[in-house]
Amino acid sequence: MAEKPQIADFSGDKYKYGFVTDIESDAAPCGLNEDIIRLISAKKNEPQWLLDRRLKAYRHWLTMSEPHWAKLKYDEVDFQALRYYSAPVQKVKPKSLEEVDKNLLETYNKLGIPLKEQEALAGVVAVDAVFDSVSVATTYRAKLAEQGIIFCSISEAVQKHPDLVQKYLGSVVPYTDNFYACLNSAVFTDGSFVYIPKGVKSPLELSTYFRINAKNTGQFERTLIVAEDDSYVSYLEGCTAPQRDENQLHAAIVEIVVMNNAEVKYSTVQNWYPGDKDGKGGVYNFVTKRAVCRGVNSKISWTQVETGSAVTWKYPSCVLQGDNSSGEFYSVAITNNKQQADTGTKMVHLGKNTRSKIISKGISAGFSNQTYRGLVDVASNADKARNYSQCDSLLIGSTCGSHTVPYIRNRNKSAILEHEATTSKISEEQLFYCMQRGLSAEEAVGLIVNGFCKEVMQKLPMEFAIEAAKLINISLEGSVG
Amino acid sequence: MSLLQNINLWGDDIPYLSGLREKNRISFEKRGLPDSKTEDWRFSYFKQDDMQNPVIDNEPIKCEGHCHSNDKLPFNALQIRYCNGKLHIEDWNLPNGVVIKSLIEAVYDGDIKSYLNKSFNPDDFPFAALNGAYLEQGLFILIERGTVLSEPLYIKYHNSADKNRLCNIRNTVVAENGAKATVIEHFCAEENAVYTQNVVNEIFVGNNAELNHYVWQNEAKSAHHISLNSVQVKSGGNYSAFCANGTCKFSRYESYVRLLQSGAAAEINGVYKLSETEQVCDITTNIRHLSPHTYSNQLVKGVAKVRAKGVFQGQIHIAPDAQQCEGHQLHRALLLNDGAEIDCKPELEVFADDVKCSHGASSGDLDKEQIFYMQARGISEDEARKILVDAYLNEVFALNKNPDISEWIKEQF
Repeated sequence: MAEKPQIADFSGDKYKYGFVTDIESDAAPCGLNEDIIRLISAKKNEPQWLLDRRLKAYRHWLTMSEPHWAKLKYDEVDFQALRYYSAPVQKVKPKSLEEVDKNLLETYNKLGIPLKEQEALAGVVAVDAVFDSVSVATTYRAKLAEQGIIFCSISEAVQKHPDLVQKYLGSVVPYTDNFYACLNSAVFTDGSFVYIPKGVKSPLELSTYFRINAKNTGQFERTLIVAEDDSYVSYLEGCTAPQRDENQLHAAIVEIVVMNNAEVKYSTVQNWYPGDKDGKGGVYNFVTKRAVCRGVNSKISWTQVETGSAVTWKYPSCVLQGDNSSGEFYSVAITNNKQQADTGTKMVHLGKNTRSKIISKGISAGFSNQTYRGLVDVASNADKARNYSQCDSLLIGSTCGSHTVPYIRNRNKSAILEHEATTSKISEEQLFYCMQRGLSAEEAVGLIVNGFCKEVMQKLPMEFAIEAAKLINISLEGSVG
Repeated sequence: MSLLQNINLWGDDIPYLSGLREKNRISFEKRGLPDSKTEDWRFSYFKQDDMQNPVIDNEPIKCEGHCHSNDKLPFNALQIRYCNGKLHIEDWNLPNGVVIKSLIEAVYDGDIKSYLNKSFNPDDFPFAALNGAYLEQGLFILIERGTVLSEPLYIKYHNSADKNRLCNIRNTVVAENGAKATVIEHFCAEENAVYTQNVVNEIFVGNNAELNHYVWQNEAKSAHHISLNSVQVKSGGNYSAFCANGTCKFSRYESYVRLLQSGAAAEINGVYKLSETEQVCDITTNIRHLSPHTYSNQLVKGVAKVRAKGVFQGQIHIAPDAQQCEGHQLHRALLLNDGAEIDCKPELEVFADDVKCSHGASSGDLDKEQIFYMQARGISEDEARKILVDAYLNEVFALNKNPDISEWIKEQF
């Protein structure tokens, strides 16, 4: 057998979604200070209590320093060089899709989200599309409203449902939580708000496509999902970003509150620009995602497919407060070229009979580095808590790195915790077997990797699963040849 | 009282030695004692106050009864003793091919220079830096090329209750190419003694050499015990260690192993049994595979009762291009009470693709089915639990290469 036969680099496949939409932007000057925060708040016509919260968060942020414990190396972010507010200019709010800026719709079409078709394809997905910082189009609202479901942008929710927002915003991720969450609490511009009333099962899968546009705009989304007793919702989030040379910062917060017997499924496909093959450009992704199972028998499930971003720092967490509540985390993370990802989850068991499951699949190729970092914490009252964690890593090529850093804390004797991890590579035999049957090296790797990730992919909603499988193949292009 | 006390030590007039002390002192001053923010110590740290102002004792050795005669051991061994942190120098009846000296003597003779303080960076190990600031007490053990020791070296550390001491001991063990030896470290003390044992062992395993290292840490209840075993293994060399921990208030056994050349292998196994409130026991390993074809294996099992805390932090690092390595690690623990705590961080850091690495961790209570099975056969629940706990830990004891030593530790454990 030849020495390292298949492993060579022919990376160079252009990022398919790298383009900039040319529309007028109403942007704030670069830099961050209290005036900018007041400006954001004023632009969005926010009530005083929200401005006060923002300012409080900003003042706290000034006392914090950027964390460096993750296995990530990147240039320092100059927070004063970023623009904290940028909204597409619209004279009148569109009432229907026809009124939305044509350029904007074109952008989504390139991304493969045919908004127009969706109305025709009744009942597939409702999309609250965020273009930079302001929601521009929300579909299917009428249908959801019939059932009392609120699905709108967070700025709209602030205006229309201030009680709900005031009650839940920051209740899961307080502004003091961490450096990036604190920054987000001060400057968040938009995001989604979902409220599922008691006993309602959402008839649609709610979906948001985020997209970063306009140069130097840090995007700070804020998502809040509240599922009342006996309700159910599945929420999809998907991301792409245009090709750029400067690094773009993204620091989002997702908060989820799950009450008695309710269930929330949150799925993400993240495909932001990862930078070119030399690691130039790409998105910095520092996200705080946390769900709290407040009620008994509540359930939260995170599923993520992470293929993009130059730097990923993301730990979707579950706080299992209610008795019998359960949390799940399914993740596929793929890094290629010079990408870096430090990602994982936290499962905090507080209630009795709480269960959690972690399935993490990491694939590193090229010169990338990937870390699974997870915490399983069982409090002394969490009788009969149960956790199962499995972290598998696949290395493609000898220049990448794969790391596993699980933290496991147990203070209850009836708890049963298990953790397993393996690291391996695609063997020459597997490749040879596939290629002998007529597959190209690249197809073979795609097939093997998709098999490796199958457990997670099965958890994705149908529309996403197809997209994600394609994404895996695209992400690994050039890693084997 | 500061931990860096200004006292006169032997060898202050030797620039080489005082230079080393100064380097370590600066390193310790820079970082101080580790706290909850120090990543490697976040689960197990203590405040200086807990040590209750220990003194660095530089009075000459005062030997009492326990120090005069050899211990009765169920196996033949060459016995070496430390008394209150001071090496008890005597006429050791050494077999051919073995050199044993005190650290100071080895410094005067110059044969320790290529080893002393060479195997780790004091900036990374705060207590080892503290130890280095007081380099004076210690052993230099050299097993010459090709020498196979038939009897183990038994090193006993004994502390008495008359004074609260901080004992800084530095041993250097060199197994030259093809040498084979077994070293046993036995820590013990008077029952109510209060002291801090801070031991650093620098171990060098040469080509095709083999070193078996047993640590039976049976310190007094109120003692603090911190040890670092910094090991280097060359081509074809084999280092295997076993530690039994868990009698004192705070203990930390740390193993920092560097597998330098291909064919080097290391095995670290450990057990701990905790039954005192607020007791903390930490086993930390860091195995660095720096060359292709290196192997490591770790198995640590523990049992914690009442409000005790057991900690395992294990790291397997595979360097870039260290292909065809194998590293395995498993930590399992039993919690026999609510309130007891097990913290675990099994870490993999892999920079090469053609390797086999695995780690696993589990914690929980004893299997109720098993207890029931025994009860159904007339064994009381307490007795059944005891049998199951023994059997649980026995798996680790059974891996030991020398059954006599293993049995001797197990009986007292």
